[in-house]
Amino acid sequence: MDLLFDSFVSAVLLLKSLDAEVCTIVLVSLKVSSSSTLIASLIGIPAGFAIAFREFPGKRITITILNTLLALPTVAIGLFVYAFISRRGIFGPLDLLYTQKAIVIGQVILIVPIVTTFTIAAISRIDDRYRKSAMTLGATTLQTAVVIFREARFGILAAIIASFGRVIAEVGISMMLGGNAKGFTRTMTTAMALEYDKGEFALAVALGLILLSISFALNLFFNYLQGRTRV
Amino acid sequence: MLFEVKNLTKIYGNRKVLDISELCLEKGKVYGLLGPNGSGKTTLLEILSFLLRPTTGEIVYDSRKVDFSAAFLQELRREVVMVEQQPILFTTSTYKNVEFGLKVRKVPKKRRKRMIHEALDLVAMRGFADASAHKLSGGETQRVAIARALVCSPRVILFDEPTSNVDIENRVAIEGILRDINIQKGISVIFTTHDRTQAARLSDRIIFLFNGKLASSIYENIFSGLIRTDVDGNTYCLIHDKVRLAVRTDKSGYVKVSIDPRMIKVFPAMDNLAGDHRFVGRVMQLTDEGGDVRALIDIGIPVSVLLGQEEYKQAPILTGEQVALVCPPEGIEVM
Repeated sequence: MDLLFDSFVSAVLLLKSLDAEVCTIVLVSLKVSSSSTLIASLIGIPAGFAIAFREFPGKRITITILNTLLALPTVAIGLFVYAFISRRGIFGPLDLLYTQKAIVIGQVILIVPIVTTFTIAAISRIDDRYRKSAMTLGATTLQTAVVIFREARFGILAAIIASFGRVIAEVGISMMLGGNAKGFTRTMTTAMALEYDKGEFALAVALGLILLSISFALNLFFNYLQGRTRV
Repeated sequence: MLFEVKNLTKIYGNRKVLDISELCLEKGKVYGLLGPNGSGKTTLLEILSFLLRPTTGEIVYDSRKVDFSAAFLQELRREVVMVEQQPILFTTSTYKNVEFGLKVRKVPKKRRKRMIHEALDLVAMRGFADASAHKLSGGETQRVAIARALVCSPRVILFDEPTSNVDIENRVAIEGILRDINIQKGISVIFTTHDRTQAARLSDRIIFLFNGKLASSIYENIFSGLIRTDVDGNTYCLIHDKVRLAVRTDKSGYVKVSIDPRMIKVFPAMDNLAGDHRFVGRVMQLTDEGGDVRALIDIGIPVSVLLGQEEYKQAPILTGEQVALVCPPEGIEVM
């Protein structure tokens, strides 16, 4: 118990002094996670929309595959991407291994199924009368899609927030593809794992507190938007 | 001609929900589409509003043969607008809901404001312009949906049971709007209803639909039952396991029967009157129907009876009163 309390006090002091190492780790984490969430959203939201909105052969199996991919382990993705970007891989000459870009690639693969399936769920829940109303009022297919997107915006925002939460908290991909290089690819989770190995808990606890705070702030923001927009 | 429909069918799975060989609707008229639940009214309305593709058949709208491809339909939808039975408003203000149709038609912002206010005035909802659309009552929602359709200046408006979910005050208001838009703006109106008096009140012509087909008149008192023959060889239809109705039919098994309300005779209750086409029941409701009297009588199933003015004067009945009913087999159609 003393260990936890001492670590907590040291962590608070570290945060209070705006420790340079802590700041760098947090910035790297935020940069990598934001990039992967943005890219995954740009892929997953239109994909989810297209799958939910259109009828095509193989729709059900596509959704089943996406649902299966939700359970993809981060280490499996790490291994898969490693095979492509390592020196012997087909993308080896691009020198991506142990860079932030490598982490982003892995994380995008991790969360594209999350964004897509959440978007499909959000769109599918929207009452079909919205589509019919927009169409009978003369809207084009694109304008009708915008109406549905607008009605499903909270579900889609929830998809983005859940995806960001997933990548900022993952460790397998960041460790295997980033290599935990100090100042370059060391993220909050890889730093926490390293500090744990070293038996240094202060930094690990400090980073844990920041991680929780980010998650809390995101959810506060989401709730604020919901409350403000639901007139 | 506004609409010319030929050999129109709509099939879902193995079920043919609509089967109309020919239907012509004229411009500038009010049409009431009358039929019971499941008769295909909404399906027909959705096809006529170009929201639903028929399985087979041809539709000619304003001398243009309808090609059910997206680009062509969008052009037609800007002339024909449908207001659903339970319309849904977009999650925004009343004003922005009404503005939607104008925005997609790229009407300049300056003109939009005036048009929106005019449309809201027409349905007496101007005071709710800034209100959240999702906080409106059922009747108010219906009125805003009408304004949202009207502001698009359509040539045709289709209403799916416009007054089925509103109170009496809103019903009167909506019926008034429906009449006004036809008379003042010359908009053709097609509406569906269960209520034959409403259809008679509002429409220039009533179209009867039953089981997806056009009918010459509306079937009333429709019940599901089982055809049986007793030991004496009498055929009867057993409805809800309690009412035995004498019928003349070659059909067997489960059928639907319709009792013509004008063929039913009502007498003071007599103990010895029970039989296959004689029943004892209680008067539940009496309503005026253009001089005639419509009585709802509970004989184990609710039966609607239409009594002529003279007929009623000769043997007036009161609500709550016990009466005897005679349903002659010639007034019963087995479907």
